[in-house]
Amino acid sequence: MAKFLDGPECRFVRTGDTQVELHIYAGEVYTGLEPRRLFPTTGQTEYISLLDDDQKEVAIIRRLDRLDPDSRAAVEGCLAEYYMIPKITAILGVVEKYGVLKWHTETDHGPRTFQIRNRRTDIKMLYDGRVLVRDSNDNRYEIENVDALDRHSQRLLFNET
Amino acid sequence: MKRNEGADRRMTSEEIGKKNAGAFKKVAKERFANGTDGFLVNREIPDAIADRMTEVLETDERCLFAVVADLTPEGTYGDTVLLVTDRRFFVVDEKRAREYAFESVLTAKVKRMYGNAVILLESKGGKKRKIFHFTYAVASLCEMAATYIQNIADGAERSYELEVVEATYGKLNCTCPKCGRTLIRPGAECIHCQSKSKIVSKLIKYVKPEVKTLIICIILSIITTAIALLPPFMTQTIVDDVLPMKATGEIEQALAKLGILVLSLLLAYVVHYALGALRGYLLRCSGDRMVMNLRNDVYEKAQRLPMKFYDKTSTGSVINRISGDTATIQQFILKVTQECLVQALLLVGIVIIMFCMNPLLTLISLIPIPFVVIGSRFFSKKIRPFYQRIWRRWTAVTSIMTDTIPCVRVVKSFASGDRATEKFSKYNKEWFRVDTRSAKITQVFPCVIGFCVTCGSLLIWAIGGRWALVGEVTAGTLVSFISYASMFYNPVNFFAHLSDSYQSALVAIERILDILDAEPEYNKPDGIKPKKLEGRIEFRNVNFSFDKTKKTLSNINLTIEPGDIVGIVGTTGSGKSTLINLLMRFYDTYEGDILVDGINIKDMDLDAYRACIGYVQQEPMMFSDTIFSNIAYGEPRASVEKVIHAAEVANAHEFIVRQPDGYDSMLGERGVGLSGGEKQRLSIARAVLKNPSVLVFDEATAAVDSETESLIQEAIERLISGRTTLMIAHRLSTLRKANKIVVVDKGEIIECGSHDELMALGGKYHKLIEIQSMGQHREGLTIPD
Repeated sequence: MAKFLDGPECRFVRTGDTQVELHIYAGEVYTGLEPRRLFPTTGQTEYISLLDDDQKEVAIIRRLDRLDPDSRAAVEGCLAEYYMIPKITAILGVVEKYGVLKWHTETDHGPRTFQIRNRRTDIKMLYDGRVLVRDSNDNRYEIENVDALDRHSQRLLFNET
Repeated sequence: MKRNEGADRRMTSEEIGKKNAGAFKKVAKERFANGTDGFLVNREIPDAIADRMTEVLETDERCLFAVVADLTPEGTYGDTVLLVTDRRFFVVDEKRAREYAFESVLTAKVKRMYGNAVILLESKGGKKRKIFHFTYAVASLCEMAATYIQNIADGAERSYELEVVEATYGKLNCTCPKCGRTLIRPGAECIHCQSKSKIVSKLIKYVKPEVKTLIICIILSIITTAIALLPPFMTQTIVDDVLPMKATGEIEQALAKLGILVLSLLLAYVVHYALGALRGYLLRCSGDRMVMNLRNDVYEKAQRLPMKFYDKTSTGSVINRISGDTATIQQFILKVTQECLVQALLLVGIVIIMFCMNPLLTLISLIPIPFVVIGSRFFSKKIRPFYQRIWRRWTAVTSIMTDTIPCVRVVKSFASGDRATEKFSKYNKEWFRVDTRSAKITQVFPCVIGFCVTCGSLLIWAIGGRWALVGEVTAGTLVSFISYASMFYNPVNFFAHLSDSYQSALVAIERILDILDAEPEYNKPDGIKPKKLEGRIEFRNVNFSFDKTKKTLSNINLTIEPGDIVGIVGTTGSGKSTLINLLMRFYDTYEGDILVDGINIKDMDLDAYRACIGYVQQEPMMFSDTIFSNIAYGEPRASVEKVIHAAEVANAHEFIVRQPDGYDSMLGERGVGLSGGEKQRLSIARAVLKNPSVLVFDEATAAVDSETESLIQEAIERLISGRTTLMIAHRLSTLRKANKIVVVDKGEIIECGSHDELMALGGKYHKLIEIQSMGQHREGLTIPD
């Protein structure tokens, strides 16, 4: 059975790019744990699984916001390293040729041009205004809030969905 | 030799560099171009990094290959290069170059994360660190590079490792440079990148056989159009010549003239409608023939699509395309080839007649035309995205139907009918929302056009009426003008709406071509057609992944001798079934080679090859046909006795005999009426009848009870003698006949050998046997030996 961590009983120390050390109140210590999201699209800060070197789950953190600030920063730092989902801040241009879309975008990681093979499956609109995008190499991107995009970007996007 | 040449060039480059920075840059760039001195690189190295590379290299150092990646160490987008030379390797970005020695490397591995990956280097000192950060775009290259570094560090032969590197770079040419899709072979023409004009030529293929009928129809339409232009002309005569006769008192003559005119009008209408009916009939016939051929082709192509296509596209959407979209295209083709011409003729004819009657009035009635044309252009822009959206919503609705109705048993057992209904109505509502939103545009637009048209005839009444009053035109001219004008707007309306149907047809064509143009399963032309296989199967360095995130199979090396009975064991998701899928050629995009009887399976004719393999799936699929036809599916012309024999071998005959309709029993959708074990025995009989050289059982007994299992087991044992057999099994007791056991774990073969050897080894297989025999002890069954 999965062991759930709720907050006060545990503390995390970051030990690597994507690894933390878990100290539990009762005295147990686990090293080299890798935090992973169980719900990478719908739950960014909930249900974080902790995997050891053999990819075996040690525990699940229920909610990140219940951790103490330092622990939370440690786990979030790992997640930020592991999950690279650049936020698209503007769509500069969309070119369609032979059924493949080429997007020129501005992201929080810098400008990026990528291709989308199948607009039906690779551009997903969520009801909360987020848009998830997957490129031809299986890299992920996200538009955090459609309504916050500039008009030009919105128009380019809505022509596709 | 080559190395020296490279060194010479480099020395010169440095000398020049001291004197002239611009020229230096150019040489550095040339030096690191793909192919120079056998140097391999995936794309052009940016100047700043090329300079940095030149600085750190020694004079006689030979560069072997480089990977230009797209992330900086900080994780933002930017260029970083992994450069491998004959003595060490570097990670170079714009600011600095880090040097690494092969000797200090303990392990080099790619760690795939989410949307990005790193090369992790563990040094002999035990320190682990990430040295190279990149997105999935270059992940396969980096994996190759990491393997190379690891192998060289382990002391492997460099020339052999370089062959692997070269092959990986060679694979880069295997994707279309324009769209990035994988090609069937390097240098092949990408099916997706053909120009749109070819789309038209593809449709012409279906129009061609109908050309004769279409020409007849066009001639008929010309006649009917000409006749349609007559009536207003005659009414003019009636108004201008016949009716005024009342004033001159020639009532008798007037009546006679009127009679002739009405009769000829009647005749004109009779001919008009009769020809119209004939034309309609002919058009319908040729249109149906076109759509029939198109549908046949799409269906045939659907059979040839690789499994990869079906993994990504719901069957509901494929069915929708075969049934719905073909009809849309048919309508459109007819519209273009027929209506277009008729309406254009009508338009020109009317304009000419009107001009002859009164040029000025004609110009006035033409005033609304620009509005209509501009409006329709605006409209077509607005409406286009809607058709895509409506279709997508509609596919969502139908795919719920095709998903839930066949699975009605599961739906009912979980009492989730209400939930299914709710989901369905939600999607249906989505469709409704989009459809009604588009309805606003589609319905308002014709009304606006209609209003413009009416304004046109109002203008004619206002201005023409005044002219008639002052005697500039006759009353008859005015009347026939009005009727010409109303006829005139018909073709205008038609052309305004043409864009509408053109758009929906374009969407339909796009979706049909998605199937027609999809890369079919690769089937080598003039492939070898084996009559009978010996059954020697060999996997050589096979790597495979469904998408780029996870390797499903890695480094599979396996040799199976003819007559071997091989058990494939492993936990769920370990890649056992994928192994079989590759052997069956359901997926072709693997690296490495699979050979059967020493021949690469990709060099064989697909159908002939598959005909040599008997494949029994975990879930037997039955067609809605008789038991006989279901067994004889692979060989419809098999003799009755052969089929009965196959059924006997498969232990199916006994239960078939008990059916009231025997071999003629109809199996309903999904074989309702037979138990799982019975269906499984039918599917074994199907395989028996094929008399295959290689047999594949994919967990054939997983879903049946122990008693049925022993019946099936008996059938299998009867069947496998003398054939190469591959069996995937969860229940290890099924494998007691196997002389070779392959244990697959996380996509790799971890153990391989006979039962005894593996038991002695005490590894994963031993553990699995222990677990299962414990379970069987509890059930009171014997342990397999």
